[in-house]
Amino acid sequence: MSLRDLLRTSWRGASANKLRAILTMLGIIIGVASVIAMLALGNGARAAVEARFRSLGANQVQISEAMSFNDGQIEQAGEILSYEDGLLMSEGADMVDHVDMSIGASGKARFGRATLDIQISGVTANAPENLATAGQVQPVGWSEGVAFTMNDLLADGRFFTPAEVLEKAPVCVIGWQTAIDLFGGDGPIGQMIRVNRSRCEVIGLITELESVDESERYRSDPNSILFMPISTVIDLFYEEEPSVQITAYVTDESRMDEAKSQIKEYLRERHKIEPDSEGEYIDDFNLTTRKDILGAQQEAANTFSLLLAAMATVSLIVGGIGIMNVMLVSVTERTREVGVRMAVGARSLDIILQFLLEAILISVGGGLVGVVMGILSIPLAASLNQGMALLEPASIPLALAVSIVVGVLFGIYPALRAARLDPIEALRYE
Amino acid sequence: MSVIQTVGLIREYQMGNATLKALRGVDITVHQGDFIALMGASGSGKSTLLSLIGLLDRATSGKYYLEDVEVSSLTRDELAAIRGRRIGFVFQNFNLLPRFSAWENVALPLAYRKGEFGPEEQYKRAMNSLSRVGLDRRAGHQPMELSGGERQRVAIARALVTSPAVILADEPTGNLDSTTGNEIMNLLNELHAEGKTIVMVTHDPSIARHASRICVMRDGILTEGESAHVAA
Repeated sequence: MSLRDLLRTSWRGASANKLRAILTMLGIIIGVASVIAMLALGNGARAAVEARFRSLGANQVQISEAMSFNDGQIEQAGEILSYEDGLLMSEGADMVDHVDMSIGASGKARFGRATLDIQISGVTANAPENLATAGQVQPVGWSEGVAFTMNDLLADGRFFTPAEVLEKAPVCVIGWQTAIDLFGGDGPIGQMIRVNRSRCEVIGLITELESVDESERYRSDPNSILFMPISTVIDLFYEEEPSVQITAYVTDESRMDEAKSQIKEYLRERHKIEPDSEGEYIDDFNLTTRKDILGAQQEAANTFSLLLAAMATVSLIVGGIGIMNVMLVSVTERTREVGVRMAVGARSLDIILQFLLEAILISVGGGLVGVVMGILSIPLAASLNQGMALLEPASIPLALAVSIVVGVLFGIYPALRAARLDPIEALRYE
Repeated sequence: MSVIQTVGLIREYQMGNATLKALRGVDITVHQGDFIALMGASGSGKSTLLSLIGLLDRATSGKYYLEDVEVSSLTRDELAAIRGRRIGFVFQNFNLLPRFSAWENVALPLAYRKGEFGPEEQYKRAMNSLSRVGLDRRAGHQPMELSGGERQRVAIARALVTSPAVILADEPTGNLDSTTGNEIMNLLNELHAEGKTIVMVTHDPSIARHASRICVMRDGILTEGESAHVAA
């Protein structure tokens, strides 16, 4: 039979009993909808992670000190992660190209009669570059996703140099809001302000910034900020050597694992960490890469996806059995029809294809409805998984392919039974 | 040339331990243009013989030549292909497919001849065949919408559509009243007059009388009856 004749025949067979066909589809509908929702969750998690951690480039390793819990108190696990640890890292671990370091402090800034409580950010000279690629803030009105440079960030003046960082220079770069609060409308560049009690020259002004993420905009203001060299901040604000955040930039991101173990070795040597009796190291620092964060986030989404996968599998099997059942009934009901078809020249393959195609029509029909239901269920899945669900385009062809497979798998046995009927008995069947 | 020739056709069924002998060595020759009535009591083996001739069943032993080709050793699918081309069936209960229109039912044998007839050719031939039985105006109707006589005409049109070597009719008037039955017999007579070869199973002598030859089955043995034409 030509495909056209075959399709017509199978369509009439499947649509002869519409209610039965629709009820049969239910299992497939639920199964396919689960597949769509499941993949949407995985995809949503990935997108959310990518949006949140755009800041962490593929060539970066974030290093922070490890914390340990003791009697409900969080305390340092071992030695602090010092400024010097960061300064010497690129020498101690040759796969590290350079490092950024930062430390926070809060203090008072004063100019004339204006006094301001302010968040102070002690950073290295590369910090603005970091800010430019972080993807969390952008100049006001900037279109999202378009890269901006150092020049786009600075409204006036300049940022401090590596030399200024090394020599603890008393300089600072201020945010847009800070400038308004301290100077009103006057130009801040070259002015001397006091940070806590020390004099500090304003050398740069950052343009007005906003959070890329709109929901973040109400929570924090990236413009009330003051940047100083990290060494200056440590000198001014800390009596003891403080812990700093280190971001290492590796020379070759394809050898990230190698670079990580180099950093580990370097820090273990500096912190004098020896293996315990079982040869295990108890590190007092944590290394985080983009891959680590992705993995952790993915794992949370995976738990939920696993549940959906189980549901999808069960529904598809139940749906498949439903199809097999209906097809067996259909073959029995139409035994005489099979006899007639054989009498007028239908070969075994013709009969097999007819019933197989009928099963596939039912399962693909269920698959199509399931795709629609799955897409409609994405908001629901998202609400159960902290807003992380996004339709995965590839899941639609996948779901349809799955429903075809189910149709074939569970339709083949009834089809074979029809084809094996004895024509004489089939013709005599009442 | 003989259309059908059987030599010592035996068909046995295994019923548990017992062996049922439906055909005990049947020799029958059907010539081009014959109209044979196959008579006999129920259980005499006439339906079994028709099934064998129609390639729906295989003999336990014996030879069967259809248009001089020995067919008893062919595979299931090869038999199906020959059925679709060289044999036209007419059944007592019509055996039309529900939900398919008259012309679609008629075109069914053509649809199973892969790649030989496009959709238009199928329709054209089905319509020719339907007009031969006087039903071209009812081509779009489904079997449910047709009377018993009309259904049997559609079935005959289906048997004719492939121009088969032989038309096998199994009690073609069995489900019809006598008036309608006579119309169907007249149609078969016309086809016979046009040179079609027909083998018809019936237990009704008044129907058998239309045939040119009468064969009688009794306990699996075939005996040639007298020619109806000679008798008439």
